[in-house]
Amino acid sequence: MRDQIARYSAKLLADRSAIPGTIAIAVQDDLLFAVGGEPEATLAEQILGELDALALVVARPPLPFADLLIRRSSPESRQIVPNDTENRTFLHDIPFIRAEEQDSNLAKRIAGLLGGRKGVIVEGVGLVAVGSITVEQAYINYSSVFHSTFVKYLQDLLDEGFLFPGEEENFGAFRREWLLPLTADGLAFRSGPLEHREGILDELATVGRYTVERGLVDSFFGNISCRCGGLIYISQTGASLDALPGCIDPVPFDNSSTTGITASSELLAHRRIYESSGVGTILHGHPRFAVVMSMLCQETECRVDDCWKECPKVRYLDDTPVVAGEIGAGGLARKVPPVIAGPGKAIVFGHGVFTTGTEGFREPLQRMIDVENWCRDEYFRRLDRVTLHPASKSVDKNAAVEVKRGSI
Amino acid sequence: MNGWSGRMLSVDLTAGICTVDEIPEKLLHAYLGGRGLGVRFMRDSHRLHPFDPAMPLIFSVGPLCGTSAPTAARLSVVSRSPLTGTIYDCSAGGKFAWRLKGAGYDLLRIAGISPQPVTLVIGESGGELIPADVLWGTTIPVTVAALEGLGSVAAIGPAGENGVLFANIMMGEGNSVGRGGLGAVMGRKRLKAVVVNGSRNSIIAQRDRFQTARTDVMRLLRASPVIFGELGLAEYGTPALVDLMKQRRMAPTENFSKTWFSDSHRYSGPAMRAECAAVKDGCHGCPIQCKKSTPQGEHLPEYETVSHFGALNGISDLQAIVKANTLCNELGMDTISAAATVAAWGEARGRFPHAGEMSGILESIAHRRGEGELLAQGSRRATEILGRPELSMSIKSLELPAYDPRGAYGMALAYCTSGRGGCHLRAYPISHEILRKPVATDRFSFSGKARIITIAEDTNAAVDSLVACKFSFLGASMEEYSELLSAATGVEYTPQGLKEIGKRICLTERFYNCANGFDFRHDQLPDRFFTQPGSSGDGIEIPPLDRERFDQELQKYYRIRGLTPEGTFADPGFLEQQP
Ligand code: SF4
Repeated sequence: MRDQIARYSAKLLADRSAIPGTIAIAVQDDLLFAVGGEPEATLAEQILGELDALALVVARPPLPFADLLIRRSSPESRQIVPNDTENRTFLHDIPFIRAEEQDSNLAKRIAGLLGGRKGVIVEGVGLVAVGSITVEQAYINYSSVFHSTFVKYLQDLLDEGFLFPGEEENFGAFRREWLLPLTADGLAFRSGPLEHREGILDELATVGRYTVERGLVDSFFGNISCRCGGLIYISQTGASLDALPGCIDPVPFDNSSTTGITASSELLAHRRIYESSGVGTILHGHPRFAVVMSMLCQETECRVDDCWKECPKVRYLDDTPVVAGEIGAGGLARKVPPVIAGPGKAIVFGHGVFTTGTEGFREPLQRMIDVENWCRDEYFRRLDRVTLHPASKSVDKNAAVEVKRGSI
Repeated sequence: MNGWSGRMLSVDLTAGICTVDEIPEKLLHAYLGGRGLGVRFMRDSHRLHPFDPAMPLIFSVGPLCGTSAPTAARLSVVSRSPLTGTIYDCSAGGKFAWRLKGAGYDLLRIAGISPQPVTLVIGESGGELIPADVLWGTTIPVTVAALEGLGSVAAIGPAGENGVLFANIMMGEGNSVGRGGLGAVMGRKRLKAVVVNGSRNSIIAQRDRFQTARTDVMRLLRASPVIFGELGLAEYGTPALVDLMKQRRMAPTENFSKTWFSDSHRYSGPAMRAECAAVKDGCHGCPIQCKKSTPQGEHLPEYETVSHFGALNGISDLQAIVKANTLCNELGMDTISAAATVAAWGEARGRFPHAGEMSGILESIAHRRGEGELLAQGSRRATEILGRPELSMSIKSLELPAYDPRGAYGMALAYCTSGRGGCHLRAYPISHEILRKPVATDRFSFSGKARIITIAEDTNAAVDSLVACKFSFLGASMEEYSELLSAATGVEYTPQGLKEIGKRICLTERFYNCANGFDFRHDQLPDRFFTQPGSSGDGIEIPPLDRERFDQELQKYYRIRGLTPEGTFADPGFLEQQP
């Protein structure tokens, strides 16, 4: 298992979700051990020893967003509840332990919380996530907590602005240093149409890797496909976008075989998009600013209380349609195809972005980058107005999210 | 009491007496229900022979039964298996469980032997035994038709009456209490059927919390491609796995001598949909509805059944396979063990049966006529009698289902550590080794599998005690189900706490088995898997299993479980320390 520990420690560094030297991963087979920096490694070992699970990650994220969410929460709160789809579907809530509550029983307390949830925020220590059966699962849960706390903090800032001394400066550093410019410059693509199995598999793996390497999405969340004749080549469920070799299912368009039962949960959405818009390639990921912006809504009298699932409207971020719909059979496959055909892009409320290409993958990747860059710029424009002119926030906050059409 | 009813019905068939007793609350909290509670109630009986008059046959529902928790209208039936000699439980869906809970019972304990065939009729005020002489000898559909006016039926067919060691108890809607031959235990008691007709509602402690957790479960089920995906279980049923197992080159073929069957597409999920006009069917109250039927209501076979009556016997005729499945259901026999026993016999005599012969063979087994007398004993005993014991593809005498262990190493280990013998469902590693849920693991590696199997066994023991269907857990997890349980009962449970309950159940079962002489010698795969390769191809190598590596992982499992290197308990007082 040491190879797994090395692999996922490296991934935490590569995706910049943990500070070098603060990462520890504990595993237990018949023996329990941890690898990583101290004091994280000792803590990781102590926590995992209390749990009926195989792996655990302790690491400190380079952004203080999770700790700031704790400080922003009411004194009686014991967990934060981000409202992105990732959290709603898989995490439910993220418990935390405040700095002043930490004592010599810390490992036991964290284990107690992890006995009920996948990840915990420990103020001043970092994020702790458990993997019941693999190291990868602990990494995925860490990434989910990182993603959800990132999204929630950005949302909260738009609502409340900066509250604490130094918070604005910290955020400025994040904006200047942590965020990288998003661009497809310098990337090589096969020109379409993609027609040969080996070439298709290779291109899917290459483009999946690009999306992660360029900082557009987290590796675990998203899927990619290509239509070729009677087949859809699509990434498997739970496949990491930057590790797709061996994880692509060829699925017959006519459902004459069920080998694709392991294909992405969004297979149905991909198929319907191909059917309704005649495109050749589809990319789906969860770029964070698009997720944040998709959840801004100007409606004040709306009676819908489950926006993720039931919002009947098509709203717009710039020229990108935003629709509701939960994962898999939860409605997304019904609501995305009608709106994506024209613009070749669509955002799903609280979830992520779908983009399409006529033949190859240059087009959908560029579109996803453009959507995220627009959402990023728009986010900062709004934040600046909120923080520089606090009085303006209530009138301006949602101005760019327009309702262009009625129900779909 | 919320969630549970706190009552059990005890039936003494010898004396013809039914009594209602309280179940101590601490046992309900510590064992939940279903498998766990049933196993706890075997504490004083686990050394008895399965056919001993005093051997209890226990039907046990769980705290979620009677609520709208997804897939929870189920029960477990627990006793000692005449096929394997191990403690045995099997989970089954259907209205019977829901009605038993509705009658106000968490558990039904039946002991003794009736002087003549009887049916047990259960209502809210207790149980009554009525003569069943006219039903004795009839098939399941005839029995169900005769009794369903009285309520939901669980019955045995000719196979149970005649002591076929893999006889089922069949639920009226077609669900089966399968594999371990508990139908033969019921037959020995001369109990033809149990009918129950309760309609009380379960009381839920915290309704809003329950509803939120239910919504969370449903969201996860919809998000799972394996469940509600367009190629998933809800659409094609478990036969959706036929194509996948073929592609993974791990479909047991001709008594596990090969792992790839060229004609399996003839009985795949899509083929069944096209040829049989398959429509959705399934357990009462289940949103998934993974079972499939013809428009006329004939139940279509599950994956294990199509594959074992198909590839394992070299048969590709879908209509013959459907007929074999229907016959087993009508006669009350386990399809996996029936098909696997026939396949072992086929290899021993040098010829697998052709499609047209299968019905006759199955009839002969159920009635113990001709070659059926031999085959009714299961593959282990039959091949020993034939002098070819190496051809029984079984563990602890339970025939292996349709996942070749050379294609999934966690499955290889889990078959062996399973307390009830060669069963895929105890740890269900297919979920991660093949279906990538909750995450994918490397199917050709033993690394970490001992720990993974231990955790999964514990988790699934808790699932079997709720009682929920394992397919739910291809989408949802214990996080959501512990919320449902806490909300239903008002007692706080966490996923970790439930795993600890599961561990207690697994260790108790192992302790019972060890007390009956089981140890590491019984945790072994047939030699074939270590000496013969599977059918490699399409860039996938299926070599024989590495025995040394397998043994290492088995020893790791024992260490994780706190057992001796022989797989036994160092502490003879283990049971006394349990609630
Ligand atoms: S998923 Fe299938 S087996 Fe499970 S409860 Fe539902 S219908 Fe029954």
